[in-house]
Formats: sequence, structure tokens, C-alpha cells
Amino acid sequence: MQLKPAATAMDGDGDGVRSHVKVIESARRRLRWPFDGVVRFLGLAFTLVAAVVVGVDNESKILSVTITKSLPPIHFYASAKWQYMSAFKYFVVSNCIACAYAAVSLVYSVKTRGQKDDPMRSLLLISFDLIMVGLLFSADGAAAAIGVIGRDGNSHMHWIKVCGFFEGYCHHFTAALVISIAGSVMFLCLVVLSVLNLHKK
Amino acid sequence: MASAEPESAKEAPLPPPSTAPRGGVNLSLVDFGLRFVLFAAAVSSVVVIVTSKQTVVGKLRGVPPGFPVQAKFDHSPAFIYFVAALSVTALYGLVTALASVSVIAKPNLSTKFLLHFAVWDTLILGVVASATGAAGGVAYIGLKGNSHVRWDKVCYAFDKFCRHIGGALAASLFASVVLVLLIWISIISLHARIRK
Repeated sequence: MQLKPAATAMDGDGDGVRSHVKVIESARRRLRWPFDGVVRFLGLAFTLVAAVVVGVDNESKILSVTITKSLPPIHFYASAKWQYMSAFKYFVVSNCIACAYAAVSLVYSVKTRGQKDDPMRSLLLISFDLIMVGLLFSADGAAAAIGVIGRDGNSHMHWIKVCGFFEGYCHHFTAALVISIAGSVMFLCLVVLSVLNLHKK
Repeated sequence: MASAEPESAKEAPLPPPSTAPRGGVNLSLVDFGLRFVLFAAAVSSVVVIVTSKQTVVGKLRGVPPGFPVQAKFDHSPAFIYFVAALSVTALYGLVTALASVSVIAKPNLSTKFLLHFAVWDTLILGVVASATGAAGGVAYIGLKGNSHVRWDKVCYAFDKFCRHIGGALAASLFASVVLVLLIWISIISLHARIRK
């Protein structure tokens, strides 16, 4: 979009130039706005799905062991839940926090979309987006590290692998981890979009 | 103060005088200093975790007495990822510290630099945060163990190893805070330049 010099701009009146500049700038900013809302909504959706999948998932298996033929087999009950691991707790809580923040900031940015550009508003949103990026990425890293130990074990520390036993749970958790990584990339895109928005003014 | 009121009423509609040139140079100096601090934190974190090797005899449960057991950072893929990510951050800190010198030298051409700084800083923040989370998760299991999956704690035997890991994690947490501050500085500087 080019800035066409109008008659009011030629007389050196500062207000005339500024009003023309503002009209074209707000039109350009309106091009950016749908992307911001769409990316926020995608971040909300991805983190919600990840938190729900890990929060609801539960696998229990009964392992029966026969010691001798005369005695009946002994049943061992083993279950896999997210509450058993602190890294998984951190993962679920982080995704819930990010989902709630995405919902609140989506409502806030939709409500204040037509208002004049306020530096405090964009700075506030960018700061919270940054905090969410850090939180989500660290939660993904922790969950991935624990998942790798669960899948491969660690022979040096004598930590046995458990994914061979709880196959369904491991598959669900891997899917939720990938979706959470997609959600955190959405928050990253939000910060990049805000910075590019600043630059294009 | 009746004489002060009309003055303040006259000044209120005008925007406050822009301190961007003087404030911009100060912010650039702070930016350069923080990037150097980021480089130092990342390098120290890598050095501390790489020198954490420890050999222990007779203290670990489940191991016959007299049998030496060793703990190194490359026994766990999470720690290897931590070392790699923090090394990349150290190199990034060094390169952008040198780049921000040109921002100080030529403030007129610096808008593109600030834009790049903000975007790349965010990416590196994601990398450092994920590395801290991964190493922190594994270190927490080494410290407390997990009874549900029968993963034993190991830090009671490998005390020096665990102290080094804890120190490296603290340094990388500090590095991520420094990155957030750097992104704030870039955004405030961009705002100040647009106001001009």
C-alpha cells in the first residue's frame, strides 16, 4: 500500500500528514489482526488437547505370575497415570496455564482490536506471551526427557524401560507431546508476529 | 501552586519530549552488556556440567561393595541435549554481542538489527528453556527417585555429580531470564524508534 500525497499533505500541516498516515497504517494493521487471533486460537486448541489427553489417559494392567503349579497365580496390579511422575504433572499444569492464558488474551485482543495503538497493551501481551513460550518449552523438554527414559531406560542408573509394558499410554503421551510442541510453536509465532507488527508501522 | 497548574495544563496535550536518542544509546549499552552476560552464563553452565564426572565405590545400593561406579553427563541423553543447546546459546550470545556493537556505533541503521535480535532471541529462549526443562526433569528423578516405576534415586551416592548438575541448571535458568530481558529491551527500543 503506497502513501499517496494528498492536497492537505502538501501545505506542511503536520496534522494532515499524520491523519493520512494513520488511515493507511490502520488498514495495514487490520490485515495483521486476523492472523493474531487465529494463532492465539490454535495455541489454545493445541494446549487444551495436550492437557486433556494426558490428564484423562490411564492404563492399568494385571500381571499374573505363577510360582508353582499347585498354587493359583498371583496377580500384580500396575497402572500408569500422569500423577505418578512430577514431570508429567508439570506438563499438564503448564498446558492448562497456557490454555487459560490463550483464552483470556484472545478475548482481550478481540475486545480491544479497534482501539488506538497503546504501547502498554502490546508490551503487556508480548511479555506474557514470552513467559508462556518459556514455560511451555520447558514443560515439553521435561516430558520428552522422561518419555525417552521410559522408552529406552538408562542402564547406567539402572532405570528400567516401562514403555514395553504400557504401550498404549506411551503412544498417547507421545501424541500429546507432539501436539503440545505445536502449541508452543504457536506462542512463539505470536511473539514474532507482534515484533513484525511493530516493525511494519 | 496556582502558577504550576496552567503550565502543566499546557504541557499535558503535547507528548513528552522523546528521550530516544539518549535513552537509545543507554539501552544499546545495556543490550551489549546483557549479551555478554548471556555468553558467560552459557559457557559456565557447559563447563560445570562437563566437569561433573564422579567415581564412587561402595556407596550405591544394589552394587556389590568394592565395585567402582562412574557417573558422567553423557550417560543420559537429556544432559547431552543440555550441553548441545547451551553451547549453541553461548555461540549465539557471542555473535550477537559483536553485532550489538554495530548497533551502538550506527544507531540510524539499527532497526533491522533490533528486529532480528528480537526474533532470534525468542527462538533461543525456546531452546534454552527446553534444555533446562529436560535436564531438570532427569535431575529431579535422580534426586528423589520414583517409586511407581522403580527408578532409584542416585544423588545420595553421587553428591559432587548432583551438585554440578544443580549449578549448571541454575546458570541456564539465569540465562533464560537474561534472554527475556534482552527481548524486552529490543521491543522497547523498537517502540522508541517508531515514536521518533
